[in-house]
Amino acid sequence: MAHQKRVEPQLHAYLTSTTELAEQQAEAAALTLAEHPDSASPLCGIPMALKDVLCVQGVETTASSKVLAGFRPPYTATAVQRLFDAGAVCVGKTNCDEFAMGSSNENSAFGAAGNPWDVERVPGGSSGGSAATVGAGVVPYALGTDTGGSIRQPASLCGVVGFKPTYGRVSRYGLIAFASSLDQIGPLALSVEDCALVFAVIAGHDPRDSTSDPSPVEDPQPALGRGVDGLRLGVPREYFGAGIDAGVRGCVEDALHVLEAQGARLREVSLPSTEVALSTYYIIAPAECSSNLARYDGVRFGLREEQPSLTDMYLRTRAAGFGDEVKRRVMLGTYALSSGYYDAYYRQAQKVRTLIAAEFASVFESVDALVSPTSPTVAFTMGERDDPLSMYMCDVVTLPANLAGLPGISVPCGFIDSLPVGLQVLAPRFQDARVFQVANAYQRATDWHATRSPLADAAA
Amino acid sequence: MLARIGLDEAETARIGVELEKILDHISRLQQVDTSALTETAQVGELVNVMRDDVPEPPLGAAAALRNAPRSDGHHFVVGAIQANELDA
Repeated sequence: MAHQKRVEPQLHAYLTSTTELAEQQAEAAALTLAEHPDSASPLCGIPMALKDVLCVQGVETTASSKVLAGFRPPYTATAVQRLFDAGAVCVGKTNCDEFAMGSSNENSAFGAAGNPWDVERVPGGSSGGSAATVGAGVVPYALGTDTGGSIRQPASLCGVVGFKPTYGRVSRYGLIAFASSLDQIGPLALSVEDCALVFAVIAGHDPRDSTSDPSPVEDPQPALGRGVDGLRLGVPREYFGAGIDAGVRGCVEDALHVLEAQGARLREVSLPSTEVALSTYYIIAPAECSSNLARYDGVRFGLREEQPSLTDMYLRTRAAGFGDEVKRRVMLGTYALSSGYYDAYYRQAQKVRTLIAAEFASVFESVDALVSPTSPTVAFTMGERDDPLSMYMCDVVTLPANLAGLPGISVPCGFIDSLPVGLQVLAPRFQDARVFQVANAYQRATDWHATRSPLADAAA
Repeated sequence: MLARIGLDEAETARIGVELEKILDHISRLQQVDTSALTETAQVGELVNVMRDDVPEPPLGAAAALRNAPRSDGHHFVVGAIQANELDA
């Protein structure tokens, strides 16, 4: 926490520090470790941070939005409760793009977090604060959420590991909803092993989330040591195409050679609908967000701008409470769902979603996992992408996995001018363990993940 | 109006231009032949998830009202709804 205090003025990774909660949890964890050292969870007593879209009872939770400033949830998210039950020590709530909508953290209503490799650059988003604080060596892991790449892309930009589980694997109960058919909670950590440890605790069925899957969770531990000898890895042609920075492509191609040297068999594959995945996502996600964000009406919680009539109160509250990107997406969503445009936009996007999922399923008949870049570029400078559409392009190789509900990970695989590059691994639904298998095989053969950021070095 | 966000004129003009650009890009979706495809609303395999109808302790009024911008201790308090129907 001393290190947190030291780097926070530059990094701004936290919206709330939960010092009191951390002290209570640390004392309880110390007791558990003293009394039951053999049965304690490996996470017992380990500090961590939570993206500010995850509810903790009584702790201010804002989703980085003015509309929720001061909101103290009446209950705790299931994934968070499972970590608390395992003895986790929560040091704070991390900065993110407002309602998890963005790829740079610049959409936070409370100011963007910085990148631990260069604080003038963005940490990525939307789980930017979680990635930044792990990359700065403040906590060994943090929870984020991934709707179109919001765990994997900031992990890539901050040089940490970020894992998005299969849709349905981790309960979304207590997660402030953005796009309910795409959102998934997952860990960001310094290694694949640590991500697997956290995943094993938060995964599993929860009756409070009817989309959480009741099938048993495969223990990721055995997969970590399995290696990739004989494994068939698909290299999607479209994920290396136009828009991918040549330096990033080079780093990822080197990573593929490392996997090949470990015995993996590489095979080029094609996912032809990739070029329309972005358009599909930017209809479905805003449509779902416009519905989910209808609840911010100034009545039950959050901001209210008093007006004589109820309608005017709604209009003023939402105009004052939401930032520009949230306004754009709510308007885009209501437009795509309106009766005149429903067939052309929303229904069409849902059909193309079927096509995208089918293309993945067909490719996975001949390969065991897919490998690609995570982000088209390394971390860019604050303010560099002021056009919404150019910001959307950040997620072009991560969001197809959300549309198909696949598990995915980003692991550090090199640097360009001292800025980290990420390798993405995707696998079929519920093959979360295979994602860990490939990622850990790569991590055991390389030491990119052990390279510390300048801000982490300040801890020493 | 559907979005229930009260924008001023300058905001309407600026966001209008931005949305037009985004819509222009995503309209390429219309070129995909989807005549043989069904819609995907969710990727999970679960349908009609049921649970036993067992009463559980409710949240309670105090907890439910704790974050309300205005309440009288038992209810959420809002402005007149009817006045606003007449306005519309």
